[in-house]
Amino acid sequence: MNLASLLLKERINLSIKPGKKNKVIEDLVYSIKKEEDAELIVSTLLKREELGSTGIGKGIAIPHCRSLAVDKLEIAVGRTTKPINFNAIDKKPVSLIFLIIAPPQDPGNQYLITLGKIVQIAKELTKKDLLHQPKTPEEFIELINQIEKDLRKRK
Amino acid sequence: MSTEIVEMHLKLLFDLDNLLSDLDEPKYKEIGFKIRDEERLSLLRARKELLRKIPPEMAEVYERLKKRYEQAIAFVENGFCFGCFQRLPTQLLTRTKEINTCPNCGRILYWRKR
Repeated sequence: MNLASLLLKERINLSIKPGKKNKVIEDLVYSIKKEEDAELIVSTLLKREELGSTGIGKGIAIPHCRSLAVDKLEIAVGRTTKPINFNAIDKKPVSLIFLIIAPPQDPGNQYLITLGKIVQIAKELTKKDLLHQPKTPEEFIELINQIEKDLRKRK
Repeated sequence: MSTEIVEMHLKLLFDLDNLLSDLDEPKYKEIGFKIRDEERLSLLRARKELLRKIPPEMAEVYERLKKRYEQAIAFVENGFCFGCFQRLPTQLLTRTKEINTCPNCGRILYWRKR
């Protein structure tokens, strides 16, 4: 499974205006779905956030849920121009957000595999201080591709 | 209560149930997200409240289906119920105003918007 292949440049926004956590999540969802479906997804994502923030630390958050509103794994990426409060586990503000929505039925559990992979890649991004390096969605996808290649080589 | 509202509550309930079920997945725990017990309990309370908002007979159907299949709702695609993969009768090929169940497996049917 290649994460870069699941990323669509039109769903990568690297210049999100800083705002409330819920609003940023909502905007990212609306880049994937509209109206009632989007509302349903936002409700579930916010319920998940109530369980404990998906801000994994070092400036990265990974809001995620399954929803009837999608029929395949959908990902949106947002980077805020200034870090925002996400109640992250390390209490530090967040600037890079990977949002994942998976269908309820998910052959091969691609959702959890992808979630694990994003956590792994996110750690690489922070370790190498690459969070703010890509300037365009294309550069962002290329960077993720490169990190995945490096991770594969290490195995 | 309008069908749309009941349907909305059912969908939210279904998504919450999937969330709760993922939390128990060993793979999910391995990823390392920390879930506090009290928050989990609050989600269970939210689930109960949601269930109360659904007409009792529908809530009962939902709970029975969940017990039997884990996933009480199945989406419809190309005329098939994606719970049991059986072809649906003509009258269920497109979204209707009522809440429908699959005549074969009984799951609540859901038509995605395109």
